[in-house]
Amino acid sequence: MSKLGQVVEAVEKHGRFVLEQVKRARSDEKFARELSERWQMTKAGIPISRAPTGLPLPRLALPEIDEPGEIARYLFGEGLPGEFPFLNGAYREMYLEPLERVGIEDGSYGNKKSPNGSQGQKNGARPPEEPTRLFSGLMLAEDTNKRFHFLSAHQRSKRLSTAFDGPTLYGIDSDADGVFGKIGEGGVAVDTVEDMVRLYDGFELGSPEFSASMTISGPAPIIMAMYIAAAKRRFGPSVVPKLRGTIQADIFKEVQAQNETIFPIEASLRFLCDMIEWTTREMPRWYPVSISGYHIGEAGATPVQQAAYTLSNGFAYAEMLAARGIPVDQFAPRLSFFLDCGLDVEYIALSRVSRKIWAIGMRDVFGASSRGQMFKLHTQTSGRSLIAAEFKNNLTRTAAELMLAYMNGTNSCHSNSADEPFTTPSEEWIRLAAHGQAILLEESGIFKHTMNMLSGSPGMKAVERAVEKAILDEFRQIEELGGVLAAVENRYQRSQIQNAAHRYERQIYDGTRPVVGLNRYRDGADEVPDIELARTPKAKQQLQINRLAKFKKKNAEKAKRALQKLGDVVERGENCFPALLEAAEVCSLGQITGRLQELVGRFRPMV
Amino acid sequence: MSSPIRVLTAVPICDGHDSAINTINLEFIRHGIEVVYLGFHRYVSDIVRAAIQEDVAAIGISSYNGGHVEFFAEIVRQLRKRGANDIAIFGGGGGTITHDDVTLMKRRGVDQIFFAGTSLADMVEYVRQHYGKKRRPGAKINGDIALARKLTEIEDSFAKHKPRRSPGSARRFGSSRNSKRARVLGFTGPGGAGKTTLIDELVLRFLQRNPKGRIAILSHDPSVVGEGALLGDRATMINSQDDRVFMRSMATRGQSGGLSPATESCLDLLAHSDFDYVIIETVGTGQEALPFRSTLVDQTVLVMNPDYGARLQLQKIVMLDVADIVVVNKTDLERAKAALLEIEQRLAQNNFPQQIAATVAKRHRDHGVDVLYDLLMQDSTGAISGRRKQRIERQRAATMKTRSR
Repeated sequence: MSKLGQVVEAVEKHGRFVLEQVKRARSDEKFARELSERWQMTKAGIPISRAPTGLPLPRLALPEIDEPGEIARYLFGEGLPGEFPFLNGAYREMYLEPLERVGIEDGSYGNKKSPNGSQGQKNGARPPEEPTRLFSGLMLAEDTNKRFHFLSAHQRSKRLSTAFDGPTLYGIDSDADGVFGKIGEGGVAVDTVEDMVRLYDGFELGSPEFSASMTISGPAPIIMAMYIAAAKRRFGPSVVPKLRGTIQADIFKEVQAQNETIFPIEASLRFLCDMIEWTTREMPRWYPVSISGYHIGEAGATPVQQAAYTLSNGFAYAEMLAARGIPVDQFAPRLSFFLDCGLDVEYIALSRVSRKIWAIGMRDVFGASSRGQMFKLHTQTSGRSLIAAEFKNNLTRTAAELMLAYMNGTNSCHSNSADEPFTTPSEEWIRLAAHGQAILLEESGIFKHTMNMLSGSPGMKAVERAVEKAILDEFRQIEELGGVLAAVENRYQRSQIQNAAHRYERQIYDGTRPVVGLNRYRDGADEVPDIELARTPKAKQQLQINRLAKFKKKNAEKAKRALQKLGDVVERGENCFPALLEAAEVCSLGQITGRLQELVGRFRPMV
Repeated sequence: MSSPIRVLTAVPICDGHDSAINTINLEFIRHGIEVVYLGFHRYVSDIVRAAIQEDVAAIGISSYNGGHVEFFAEIVRQLRKRGANDIAIFGGGGGTITHDDVTLMKRRGVDQIFFAGTSLADMVEYVRQHYGKKRRPGAKINGDIALARKLTEIEDSFAKHKPRRSPGSARRFGSSRNSKRARVLGFTGPGGAGKTTLIDELVLRFLQRNPKGRIAILSHDPSVVGEGALLGDRATMINSQDDRVFMRSMATRGQSGGLSPATESCLDLLAHSDFDYVIIETVGTGQEALPFRSTLVDQTVLVMNPDYGARLQLQKIVMLDVADIVVVNKTDLERAKAALLEIEQRLAQNNFPQQIAATVAKRHRDHGVDVLYDLLMQDSTGAISGRRKQRIERQRAATMKTRSR
């Protein structure tokens, strides 16, 4: 049995454990009394703050229960926000306005002891930053840099998310045959460490207020090495342990859905684990893999498939890292997740259930401590749900999705621009998308006064139960196929996703899946946003090629030696990340990819 | 009954958005269209080469990552350069392709772009209306393009039940060196054994070791009469997308046994068209299959997966009685050792020399594939023709055995 099978058993066992506690609370008087007392103390300790209208509200709302069995069901089955199994939130206060800003009326969460006694106080800490991540990537590094400065001008923390162009995503240099039109399209072109320096120019990479996110997987270890090399050039070697941020690096989802893989699966996984092993040791604040369901969802998976494949991919990575002998508490807290949020009903509770399954699996199968049990989640609203026809409706779609994402307690969120079906989003629509989040979190009172404001409705619980069962069924199926890697190689997840995508399209065309402006309430004239399309001018594309040529010429000799050394390390089967770091100083992305492909081969696409 | 329409679909270089094209492919197939699917992240040169060799009526490109104006225009340019002006190009890209782009793209020779919201039914209808007609190639065609058209003629003649079995004409078509006949290697085995990957790895070795050699591949995918087919082997065969490889994907069009009604005639043509080797790959076959009855096949290779079930199953696999080489692929799987032993014992029942090879085709530079390559290449022509005769004898015997069972 792979670890995934054990996770299924652990979740089932946890379910039985909760039922036993409920029974015990109803039969064991002493236990019942303890629970009731704890419940009363928890309630009594909840601070009260006032809404701008003067209305007093508790900062944490709890269900109106006083029967010990029900109290046990809640505390053990869901947990308070910030407590195992984290159904209601990874942290205690999430999006609440900071206490110092609103002033405390009363209480201070008196009893901090969790029902399982496993949670420290750390989980109570509020995430220090805005949950908004600003996504950009266009043309050349300096153009994206300018956009980053524009977007983050009014943010107290600088959380930048970077999209790369096609050639970069596939580890190809801008001067490669046949890619000219793709340079700087859909993301920023990065060929060398010099581009990386330009990309984040003016930002303090080692500052606790700065974090970079890089959306790239196939060549992620190479790009990671370039980022580190660029940071060292600008701030010296001492900056490395201070670097904060994340790189996507999720190979499984690439093979399952997004198709940006450049080495064979096993080699890709090896390079990934090399990087994770190095960064979790040397860069303790970096998240070296973002286990992503987003692209699985975008490729057409159902929400359950999305969550099931994402979680099982996560458990598979954990299994590989543990097998390398990396201590679970070194890597587990550095794993983070990225999910899609669309309009299907499952999204009412999808992330809540995911958080719970991850916590149980990490605690009971991998032996992770509290920090390693937390499912730290970035959510993006669904790009697939946005359509070109009558595109302004996309604002409403995104707003509804944002609402669902925050109801699920996501740790950070990106809201898509309404013009996304057409182009890399333009400034006007990006601002509207970002402001949508501020309206929801800051302007409205929905999320800022009280935790659990919308948690635990009977409908939500019904969705939770159905979704949890369906996810475990998917796990069993994968386990039966021999585990995640075997299932991937047999293209199980791919074909499941493709079937779901086909069904989705057919439902749109036959009208059983309503899409306003497309198959309902269509008013004819398709409006196109009045925006200048973010196309990269030919002159810029040529500039990138010229820069690359200069870099290659300047470093020709050093590059040859670095690639030789890299090759030797790869052949010997050692951790190749240190050699990648050296190569990144003097080699282009394409040179490194090319050398590695000579040794391990190219990815053979699955259809 | 007329021949199905053949189109090629692909996603451009540096673009992995295949969700739309997968759905469209399925819809095309449901409506009787044969789709040669090249996959995602594909260079213009690969697309154009494939379209010519497969002799499709049209190329459909699904592009979501920008750069479409240049990409589509480059396809038109390269097709024209190679004399394939009559292959049409259509495509789409959701909202990423604007109306202004389309005007420009059409001016540069693109036939049609489907905007976001176009129904699947409308796309199918368009393809049927516009790409089902007889095409007019440029006046002077030669090389791969002429060979490809000839193969289409043969396939079409079978669709119309007027088989055109004239190896003579095929020979006349060949170049001046028409006395040379390619050596023909037949690959068969159950679905999922890794035939396609293995062949692609062998082709890679051939290209590396024969700087001037040319090789042809005749690959098969299943289809039933009157329906389309997804011909997807090219997507997996990354090394075979090369000017020195001529690859043709055929649907079985209702014939059982792993090959198409037109295979023999197409093979005859290819064997006399100046290639060093011709490789035929059958569809995934069952235990009773004996696909290579042709006297043109010089060597037969059965590719197996270690997970064939209980040892008894081996007795039922008829191809084990006749194959020249039995390859056990995926020998990284747990069961591989036992499988190799069982298969060796099974082959020992046959009273003629058969070879066995153990490979992990998915692994780059796999030693087992090197060994297999040498086995295939070292065989002298004399030995092969001798063995071919024997094999045909054995095949006859095996066929009798199957019938009496």
